[in-house]
Amino acid sequence: MRSRTGLIALVSFILAAAAACAPGTADRSGASATPPQMDHHAVRLVAATAAQASPRQVRAQFEQLLGLHALLAVRQMRSVVASAATELQRATEASLQSNTDALSRLVASAYGSAPADRFTPLWQRHLADLLAYAKGVAGKDASGTQTARTLLLADADAYGSWLAEASKGRVQADDAAAGVRMHVEELMAQADAYAARDYQQAYRVERAAYEHMFTAGGGLAKAGVTPEVAVGLDAPPERLRSAFAMLLGEHLELIVDAQRATFAGAQEFRAAAAQVNANTSALTKAMAGIVGPAKAAEFQRAWANHVEGLMNYTAAVAGKDEAAKTVAKQNLEGFAERLGLYFSDVVRNVLAADPVTDAITAHDQHLIDHVDAYAAKEYTRAQQRELEGYHQMLGVANTLVAAIQRTVKPRLPVGGSKTGGGGMVCRRL
Amino acid sequence: MEGRYAGASSTVPTPAPDRPAEGAEAARGFRSVRGYQATPVPVRVEIPRIGVTSSLDRLGRASDGTVQEPTRWERAGWYAPGTRPGDPGSAVILGHVDSKGGPAVFFRLRELRRGDMVAIGRADGSSVRFVVQRIEQYPKDRFPTDAVYYPTLTPALRPVTCGGEFDATAGRYRSNVIVFATMAS
Repeated sequence: MRSRTGLIALVSFILAAAAACAPGTADRSGASATPPQMDHHAVRLVAATAAQASPRQVRAQFEQLLGLHALLAVRQMRSVVASAATELQRATEASLQSNTDALSRLVASAYGSAPADRFTPLWQRHLADLLAYAKGVAGKDASGTQTARTLLLADADAYGSWLAEASKGRVQADDAAAGVRMHVEELMAQADAYAARDYQQAYRVERAAYEHMFTAGGGLAKAGVTPEVAVGLDAPPERLRSAFAMLLGEHLELIVDAQRATFAGAQEFRAAAAQVNANTSALTKAMAGIVGPAKAAEFQRAWANHVEGLMNYTAAVAGKDEAAKTVAKQNLEGFAERLGLYFSDVVRNVLAADPVTDAITAHDQHLIDHVDAYAAKEYTRAQQRELEGYHQMLGVANTLVAAIQRTVKPRLPVGGSKTGGGGMVCRRL
Repeated sequence: MEGRYAGASSTVPTPAPDRPAEGAEAARGFRSVRGYQATPVPVRVEIPRIGVTSSLDRLGRASDGTVQEPTRWERAGWYAPGTRPGDPGSAVILGHVDSKGGPAVFFRLRELRRGDMVAIGRADGSSVRFVVQRIEQYPKDRFPTDAVYYPTLTPALRPVTCGGEFDATAGRYRSNVIVFATMAS
């Protein structure tokens, strides 16, 4: 068993490596090694980097914050619909507010303070109207939900106008508004499904909402820069980083969902767990495109053990089975080592196995702490561990992708193809 | 008495289900998705707009690091170390434009336009279709390797052939024509 101090040092190392390889994480190394009692990670991250952020950093931060916004909004709406404990509602609301503050700072760094001053009240209105919609659903108030729906769609139009102006016309108002309309339609749909106990639909829509908002972060970053800079943000290595960050961040958040759903009963757990499996399938296919089918199958086996290990720990916590918790923890350590070896192997030892293992162990620890706190009804602590886990996971994603990039590039074919020899095309011209 | 007991029976709350216990049982029974099935390899390409139907050879990397070219003029090839068509990433299909003897399999590739379809048949009899987004031509010494071969998570197809000026001395074209296509939904 590794010591906690050593673990933090090694996690710091791996995140520092991420910072060196991927500018999007430049200041996260220090923040991620911060003790767990620190809260509102996102705010500190953005505050630290806003002044000197590169366009790639800004893109990564917009993705993270908007993806998180969707998830936090989903959880807040569900906590209202389900009349959850007051402390849970407050913890979610506080996280959502921190996320909005961080988003406003990032908008200020990308677009300037005047556009940010117009953005903040607009986004606050969006949050207030989402909450009003959830309250309407909870109270079966058809008139209230209809009013909130109308206001949310008006918020989307206002956002479109704001971005068209802030981007100096690089984005059309209608296009920007359409994206937010889809976002609010998804959030309302998942709240409706949750209230109707159609959990399969609620969790399916939640996952789509996260992916759409994470992706929208890239669009918001590109709209804030010149077309020449925006082209660089769309380069294949950057797209690969973004996609893996989205899938790995999603992995953590879906496990959090499944952990919380365990306490709500079997039906909700199964719906949340189905999305965990959908994420695992997506990750495996993504790996197949990089390492080939045989190695992708190997990845899936190791990842499946990791996911089942986390679920076993969660089951032990919900079942108040201390012996099972101990066994599950021990198993998780073994699964983390296996994954560490796997990743180190596929990137041809660009990353040593131990730091990767320790990063995965740290990821496990966030989820262990999260479910422990949630079971103890310490919702603020649970929320903090979730946020720290999310940002740590994105750091791991950046590290892995940076290593993959270093191993993929030399294997690609050099130059063009020799696929012609008759000169007939020229003669045709 | 009857009334008292009748009333009592309707007001005694039904014991609440033990949700965490139910959830714990479900979590204990959770099984992760396993048994990844690889996408079947491509064996045929069809491009109706330009009359192409060809089986596919498997291509790798030559010893000088360049992509191997198909050994037969009339047959296209798939870059096998890369993505399988339909998987996340760009699958690359190569075909000659011509030979000294006449037109080859991808002679009319550059006639493709946005919206044209490319169908890939796979070893298990299934097929996957792609929609052409754009066609671009690049000098071979400025070939966009990342745009063609770099892993992405979006399923795409990149048919490639030669084009541009012909260097008669070297007996080769100076440019490549690249079709950028995305998977049809």
